[in-house]
Amino acid sequence: MTAAAAPANAVVPAASEAERRALQRARIRGIVISALGLIAFALASNTMNSEVTFKFWVVTQGKDFVQIQTTAGMFWILTGIATGGTGIWQLWRGSSTRWRRWLILWLPLWVAAVVSTLLTGKTAVLTNAFAGTFEYAFPISMGAFAALICERSGMFDIAVEGKLLVGACVGAITASMAIQWLGPDTGMIVGPIVGPLFAALAGVGIGVLMAWLAIRYKVDQIITGTVVNFGALGLTNFVYLRVLQTYTDYNTPPTIEKVDVPLLSGIPVLGPILFQGTPYMYIGWVVMLVLTYFLFRTRWGLRLRASGEYPQAAGTVGINVIRIRYRAMILAGAIAGFAGSYLSLHSAGSFQMNMSAGKGFIGIAAMIFGAWNPIGAFGAALVFGFADSTQQLLSQLGVDVPPQFLASVPYILTVVVVAGLVGRVRGPAMAGQPYEQG
Amino acid sequence: MRLELRDITKQFPGVLANDRISISADRGKVLGLLGENGAGKTTLMNILSGLYRPDSGEILIDGETQVFRDPAEAISAGIGMVHQHFMLVPVFDVVESVALGSEPVSGLAATFDRATARARVVELSNQYGLHVDPDSKIEDLPVGVRQRVEILKALYRRSDILVLDEPSAVLTPGETEELFGIIRGLAAGGTTVIFITHKLNEVLEVADTITVLRRGRVAGTVLPHETSREELANLMVGREVELTVTRGPANPGETVLELKDVFVRNDRDEMAVRGASLEVRAGEIVAVAGVQGNGQTELVEAITGLRHIDSGHIKVGDTLLDEAKPRKVADLGVAHIPEDRMRDGLIKGMTVAENYILDSYHREPYSSTGRFDRVAIAREAAKGVKEFDIRTPSIETTVGSLSGGNQQKVIVAREFSRPVKLVVASQPTRGLDVGSIEYIHRRIIEQRDAGAAILIVSTELDEVLALGDRVAVMFSGRIVGVLPSEQATKEAVGMLMGGVH
Repeated sequence: MTAAAAPANAVVPAASEAERRALQRARIRGIVISALGLIAFALASNTMNSEVTFKFWVVTQGKDFVQIQTTAGMFWILTGIATGGTGIWQLWRGSSTRWRRWLILWLPLWVAAVVSTLLTGKTAVLTNAFAGTFEYAFPISMGAFAALICERSGMFDIAVEGKLLVGACVGAITASMAIQWLGPDTGMIVGPIVGPLFAALAGVGIGVLMAWLAIRYKVDQIITGTVVNFGALGLTNFVYLRVLQTYTDYNTPPTIEKVDVPLLSGIPVLGPILFQGTPYMYIGWVVMLVLTYFLFRTRWGLRLRASGEYPQAAGTVGINVIRIRYRAMILAGAIAGFAGSYLSLHSAGSFQMNMSAGKGFIGIAAMIFGAWNPIGAFGAALVFGFADSTQQLLSQLGVDVPPQFLASVPYILTVVVVAGLVGRVRGPAMAGQPYEQG
Repeated sequence: MRLELRDITKQFPGVLANDRISISADRGKVLGLLGENGAGKTTLMNILSGLYRPDSGEILIDGETQVFRDPAEAISAGIGMVHQHFMLVPVFDVVESVALGSEPVSGLAATFDRATARARVVELSNQYGLHVDPDSKIEDLPVGVRQRVEILKALYRRSDILVLDEPSAVLTPGETEELFGIIRGLAAGGTTVIFITHKLNEVLEVADTITVLRRGRVAGTVLPHETSREELANLMVGREVELTVTRGPANPGETVLELKDVFVRNDRDEMAVRGASLEVRAGEIVAVAGVQGNGQTELVEAITGLRHIDSGHIKVGDTLLDEAKPRKVADLGVAHIPEDRMRDGLIKGMTVAENYILDSYHREPYSSTGRFDRVAIAREAAKGVKEFDIRTPSIETTVGSLSGGNQQKVIVAREFSRPVKLVVASQPTRGLDVGSIEYIHRRIIEQRDAGAAILIVSTELDEVLALGDRVAVMFSGRIVGVLPSEQATKEAVGMLMGGVH
C-alpha cells in the first residue's frame, strides 16, 4: 500500500452494519445506473443514421419556421453520458451521492431519446406539441390546486374527478342555454362567461355538500369522495343520454377560442407555445401564482396550513378551524368546477360522457408529486400534459405504436418518478381527520 | 389581574368532571393546582380557556363576570394557556407559531408581516429571558425550548393570566428549575400564574397557594409553608398513602439481559439508539432514567422483538435475540409492560378475559386443536382478576371501560401469569392514581424478590429513584451512566439526563 492509501483507511470508521449495508446498496445502484448508460450508448450506435427533424413556428402557425435536423443517435449519446456519468459518480462517492436529483436530468433525456427514435424519418412540429402540453396540463393542474387547498386545510378531496365532470356538464348546458335564450349574437358573448361561472358554482355546491357531511357528521371523506365521483358519473351520463341526446341544442355551447396575449405572443418560438392559447391557460398560471403567494405569505395561508397540520393548535389560539375548512372546500369546488368547463367548452364544443377520463385523479397524483406546493403541482401536471401531447403527436405522424401502450406510459413514469425522485414527501399531517374542539 | 372561578360544574356523559369547583388566584401570585389524573384539572382549564362551556358557575376577572364562547374570547380577556401537549405546528418556525391567530398583517391580501412579528418575538424573548432562535422550525427544537415558545405565545397575546398544564412532564430536572425561574420572574412582573401538576414537590417549590382537586371537587386549599408532602398526598388521594415503596436489598444473580452496542432506528429511519450497552442480572431492578425521546421507546421495542435491531446484540439468558419476534421473546420468559397501554398492551374493544389470554391464547389450556376452551379461559381469567385485584364488573367487560389503573393491572396480571425471567416495564405507572402506582410497584418488587431480572424505563425521576437497585441514564441513544442506588441522587441523575457527564 502506498502512503496515500493510509489516511483514506483511517478516515473510514469502524463501519456499523447499517453503514455497510448502505454502501452495498449504493454500489448496486451505481452498477445498475452505469449499465443503463451503456445500454444508451449501444442504442446510440444503432440509431446514428435515424434522422429526425424538429420544427418550431417562429410567430404564426404555418408561416415562418425554424427547424433542427438531428439524429436519434445524438439523443442517445447525451442520454448515455448523463446516465453513465451519474452511475460512475455514484460508484465513486458511495452512499453520500444525492443520486435522486440526477434523475431530473437523465429521465427527460431518456424520454426525448425514445421519442426521437420513434420519430425516425419524420418531421415533428414541436410548437404544437409544447403548446398542447400546456393545454392538456390545465385541468390536471387545476384539479391539483383544488385538492391541494383542501388537504392543506385538513380535508381530503378525492372528488376532484366528480367536480370536473359535473363542471363540464353544467358548463356545456348553461353556455348552450345562453345561446338558446339570448340568441346567437349575444349568446356567443355571454355563453363563454356564463358556462364557466355556473360550472364553478356547481363545483361549489359539491364542495359544500362534502364539507357539511365531513364536518357536521364526520363522514369519512374517502367515502363521500368516492360516492361523489360515481354519483357524478351516473348523473351526467343520465343527463347526456336522456336529455342532451334528444335536445342537442342544449349541448351545443359556444367554444372558447384562443386569444393572443398582446406583445408576448410575438416572442419568436416561445410566443406561439406559451401566449397563443385559450384564456383558461392564462387563468391557470394566475391561479398558480396567486395561490402560492396566498398559501405561503398571507394570514389566510398561515391559518389554512395550521388547520391542516395541527387543528388543535389553531383552535386554541382562537382560529375557527371549521370555518377555514368550509371556505377551503368552497374555493376548491369553484376551481375544480371551473376547470371542468374547460373540457366541454374548449375544443370539444360539447359535453360527452365521462369526458374527465381520470384527469381529476391525475390531478391528485400531481398534487402529491408536487409535494403539496402549487408550483410543484403545476410542474407535475406538465409532465402528464406532455405525455398526452406526445401521444397525440405520435399518432398524428402515424408512428406505429399501440395507443393503449402509449396511454399507459405516463402512469408507469409516474410510479418510477414518484418512487425515485420524490421519495418520501410529507403532506399535511392531519388531512382527513375530523376536528373536534377540546 | 385577580382570577376567580366560582362553583364551576361540568358534566360529561357518565362523569361529573367538575363539581362546584371554586378557585382564586391573585395578581402576581402562583396558584398550584394539584390533583391526580382524572381529578378534573384539565377540564377546569379547558373551561377557563374557552374550549368548553361550564354547565353552571362563573368566571370572574378582577371581579367582573366573563363568558367565554370560544378560545378567542378567553385570549382577549387575557388568559394564556400552555397545554400539556404543546399546541405548536411542527412544520412552522418559531415566529409563525407564536404569531398564529394574532398575526400582524399588511395590505389588501392580509399579507403576514413577518418582520413585525419577528421583532416582537425577539423583544419578548429578551425581556423575559426566554432564549429561542426565532427562525428555527418547531420540529427541530428540543421540548424544553418548545415550552418557551408556548410561553412566548401567551406573552405575545399580552396574557395577564398564564395557565401551565403539567409543564414539567417533558422536562429534565435542570429544565424544570429553569422553568420555575421563568415562572417566578413572570409573577414578579405582575402575571397571575396557575400551575397545574400532580407532582407534590413542584407545587411546594413554586406555588404561593395550593388548591388540591380530587374527583372533580376541591379537596382543600393550603399554603406551602403550612403543609407537608404527606398532607398533600392525603388530600389528593383521600386516604393515607405510602409515598415510598419499601424494598429490601437486592440479591443479584447471573446476568439475564445483556445489551451490547445496540443500534436501533426509529419510525423516521433515524438512529434512535446508538450503541447502548447494559446488563440486568437476576434479582435486581435496573431503572433507566431519561427525558422522553432519547431512544428509550425504541430500545424497549428492540428488546421485546417489536423493532428490528440495526447492529449490536441483545441476549436474554443464553439466547441471542436476532430477528426475534415478540412471541419468541415472550416464550423466553420476558414479560413486557408497554409504554402505551392502549396501543401495545391491550385491545380496547375486547373483554378482560380475552385480553388476559392475548399472549397465550394459542396453547393449552386456552385452546386445543384450534378451538378455544371457554371454561378454562374463564377459570384462569377469574383467577387473574382475583389475584391482581382488578376492579371489573366481570371478566366479560370490555377493557376500554375500565379505569387506567385497572387496565394496567390486566396487563400486569397477563404478563406475570407466565413464568417470568425478565420483566421489561416501560412507564409502568404513567397516568395512574397513587394507589395503583403503589400496587404496581409492589408487584414488580415481588417479581424481583422471586428472582426475576427487572428493567424499568421511566421518565418519572421519582419512580426511577424509588425502584432502581441500579439507575442507568439514557441520553441521545446511549446509556451514559449507571449508578448504584446509593449514589443515584436527584442531582447526579439529573445532570446525566441533561447530557452533562
